[in-house]
Amino acid sequence: MKDRVRALDSRLLWVILALMLLGTLTLYSAGRNTPQAAIWIKQSVWNLMGLALMLLLAATDPRRILRYSFPAYLLGLVALAAVLVVGKKIGGATRWFVVAGQTFQPSELMKWVTLLYVSHRLGLRPADSIRRFELLGAVGLVAFPMLLIQRQPDLGMALSFLPILLIIPLMKGLRARWVVALLLLVTVGGFGAWKFALKPYQKQRVMIFLDPSADLQGKGYQVNQSRIAIGAGGLIGRGFTSGSQTQLNFLPVKTTDFAFSVWAEERGFLGVLLVLGLFGLLLSRILDAAKAAHTNAEAYFCAGAAGIFALHLMVNVGMVAGALPNKGMVLPFFSAGGSSTLSFFLALGLIMGILYRSRVK
Amino acid sequence: MDPRQRPLLHRRLGVLKALAWSLVAGLILIYAWLQLVRHGEFQQLAMQQAVKIRPIAAPRGLVLDRNGHRLVDNRRALHLVIQREDLPTRADVIESLALALELDPAALARKIQSYRFAGKGRPLVLKENLDDAGIALAERVRSRFPFLSVDVAPRRVYLGDELAGHVLGYVGEVDEELMKAKPGVFRLGETIGKEGFEASGNDKLKGVDGQRRILVDQLGTEVAHFGQTDAVAGRSLYLTLDAGLQKILQDAYGEEAGAAVVLDLRDGGILAMYSSPSYDPNLFLNRLSQEMVDRYLNNPTRPMLNRAIQGIYAPGSTFKLLVALAGLEKGVITPQTVIYCAGKKNFYGRDFRCDKPTGHGGLSLVQAIAQSCDVYFYEVASRMDIDDLYATAEKYGFTDRTGVDLPQEKRTRIPSRAWKRKAAPKDPKWYAGETISVGIGQGAVGVTPIGLARFYAMLATRGKVLTPHLFYGFRNDQSNELEPAPVPVPRDTPLDPRNWATLDEGLYEVVQGGTAAANPLIREIAREAPFVGKTGTAQVATFVDKSHYARQAKHLKDHALFAGYAPRDRPQIAFAVVVENAGFGSTAAAPIAAKLVKYWFVDRVRNPLPPPRGRMVDPFAPPAEAAP
Repeated sequence: MKDRVRALDSRLLWVILALMLLGTLTLYSAGRNTPQAAIWIKQSVWNLMGLALMLLLAATDPRRILRYSFPAYLLGLVALAAVLVVGKKIGGATRWFVVAGQTFQPSELMKWVTLLYVSHRLGLRPADSIRRFELLGAVGLVAFPMLLIQRQPDLGMALSFLPILLIIPLMKGLRARWVVALLLLVTVGGFGAWKFALKPYQKQRVMIFLDPSADLQGKGYQVNQSRIAIGAGGLIGRGFTSGSQTQLNFLPVKTTDFAFSVWAEERGFLGVLLVLGLFGLLLSRILDAAKAAHTNAEAYFCAGAAGIFALHLMVNVGMVAGALPNKGMVLPFFSAGGSSTLSFFLALGLIMGILYRSRVK
Repeated sequence: MDPRQRPLLHRRLGVLKALAWSLVAGLILIYAWLQLVRHGEFQQLAMQQAVKIRPIAAPRGLVLDRNGHRLVDNRRALHLVIQREDLPTRADVIESLALALELDPAALARKIQSYRFAGKGRPLVLKENLDDAGIALAERVRSRFPFLSVDVAPRRVYLGDELAGHVLGYVGEVDEELMKAKPGVFRLGETIGKEGFEASGNDKLKGVDGQRRILVDQLGTEVAHFGQTDAVAGRSLYLTLDAGLQKILQDAYGEEAGAAVVLDLRDGGILAMYSSPSYDPNLFLNRLSQEMVDRYLNNPTRPMLNRAIQGIYAPGSTFKLLVALAGLEKGVITPQTVIYCAGKKNFYGRDFRCDKPTGHGGLSLVQAIAQSCDVYFYEVASRMDIDDLYATAEKYGFTDRTGVDLPQEKRTRIPSRAWKRKAAPKDPKWYAGETISVGIGQGAVGVTPIGLARFYAMLATRGKVLTPHLFYGFRNDQSNELEPAPVPVPRDTPLDPRNWATLDEGLYEVVQGGTAAANPLIREIAREAPFVGKTGTAQVATFVDKSHYARQAKHLKDHALFAGYAPRDRPQIAFAVVVENAGFGSTAAAPIAAKLVKYWFVDRVRNPLPPPRGRMVDPFAPPAEAAP
């Protein structure tokens, strides 16, 4: 046990602990002067549970986990179907189970289960190039949960499955012409979705993305306030718990989607550099894990995980700055939430386990 | 893992790593753009929405009478309010709140709904100016509805109630019409004078509003307060009014309708101005209730009309002094001219009657004024053209507004040929017979009480046309002493002393042995405080048989008038008194004039500051302390 603790990847652990601490500070500041003043305590409980889960998984042989990926995947599909039937409806969307007063969002976990199972499937055959049926199989495996999630509806979550489709086939040697085909597919699919599948409010979000100034009172109001908060932060920030946008509640949903704006306003560009640097290190370390992995499946999982973390980072941090559409994608370690926190730690636990095994051989 | 694959995998992972770091770099560039390049712009936006400037209403100046008695005071009023962010949303809560406060539930729900989208930072007022019962009710209800609060706001208090309602006027919130008419002058919600001196003296009474710089949150709720510029209270003003004299008039009128004006001959200051029925300005500070509308606005006796400056009355015999003056100056009569009265006289084929059917016989001008002989003045008028009469009236300022510092003064109506062309375009010709009627103050002629008072002030001062005014001066806040305001300069148009002596003698005889002398009270007062004046009885309807007079409906009765000055040897005051539908000037109007003269020259001199009596005890006392 002692050996195992010593053998934990300290670099990754320090990055995680640092991000966790900064995220908790942000939530403390964001919750002040609101009915959610205790949210940082609640989130700390989730974080500690997540840390425990992470250490537990880090000590588990990844191969054992991969072996259970298929039943987990099936269970996940059942859960996604069930949530549509018995889930709790909040704000027009049915995404949550209610267990003992706590809401739980199965799609958060399903993202990682899907990644795990796709990595497992495509990692079975040692080959430096991907076969057509493998690619089609992967598309199918990802498409099922995505479609179920889009029924909730939750476009942001559905899109966060895309890195699985993009990164693992690339790792497996997808030819450039396939990448072009995939991009074409996404483009055509995008147009098709715009025409047939998107809800009006989702279209509106895209429109606001194209011209944020067009709807300052409605959806664009939130992003506009967020940009003001970030810009007002300047180089060194307005001081911890002293940002007017944050503390006077001009900033909306500041404990979840716009938590990073709180940090940017109160800690300024230097604070932003620190957090983005830490995220860069996190991504970098996850990719190192992929390099060190013993099996293809493990490597694919790490690479896919890096893609999912990177997507969350890009969409959330870009969105609050008004550079990307408002999709409601959370930022790991900063946005409050139980399901997402646990699932991020779960993924990190697996990665730690892979790193650990690569070291002890 | 197949070792041959490893370099390939590593190469691909290397690409991913590069992509990851370029993502981070891209995000950093976006934030550098917002936080470093555009920092100033966003910081300004953040401040703009968080920092608000709220006005602090400056208290208006007090209004005092010439002796320093407060006529208008400022008190603190309590309002039951809901702060904007506390507005209830549930229909059942709104309904039970309305029932508890005895309000109409539907109206309250509408009010709350509309207020939700109205201006930020101002509470919704549920009940204004809580009295003791209102405060008790509010306290009871607050235990059930904790979002209610009680706000303190300044409130104007008019201490005499109806004592000087028309003179003082009242204040209210600036309306949209005015804000549109004078953009940039007023701010929304500002209190301004609406009527009376509050309106005409608004610029002097209002102070300079202060500013509070506050931090507000997204809902507009004040979060912090950093610095303020204090409001500068408006200066307190003295009016020329004498509250005691005003009180004498109020009591003297009682239930009668009419108006009286008393002028200070030294400067034209208005010592008293009373219009009956009066109104209580305090009631206009609340939102108008149906009861108020019925009591004041829909009342056929028109209590809101300031009859002293807006009532147009036929002057009756009080007008004869102008006719006499015009005749003398035109040269159609001399002070010695004697005219014979046979009770009636025929002009242009029509009989014009005298008030005394048996006739006065031969009369001098002095006797004609004293006896108010109509035939004498028919004859004088017949010797002139209407435009001659108008020219004299114009010369002595009788055709203009007096220019009193109150809003909406009406102009007297002294007819002329030009006037008739405009007033009656269908029959623009002036008939000589019309001049005969004007000769005794009937027909087309109509005067305001203040215009009539100024004409008699002109007679008393032998030709000074004064500008009646209420503004007396500022109160020095340190010493509480009066700092007099400049007096409007009178226009001097000297009367021929011989002519003046004749008119003065006539007015003296009215009281000593003429139309006003029958009343023993008037004779008695005239002995103590020698005053002179002219009675007037202005026909409202024409009756052939005066014996039925007493049985006529009140509103068809004649208006009674009396105008004059006192004391005779060195006049100090001039006055005009009109009592509507009261009968003869000698019996209804002259006694009121006598009372005011007696008060001013006898009672007030014995006791210079009018002792507060009756209704005035409360108003002038300091605010009563609440009982423990």
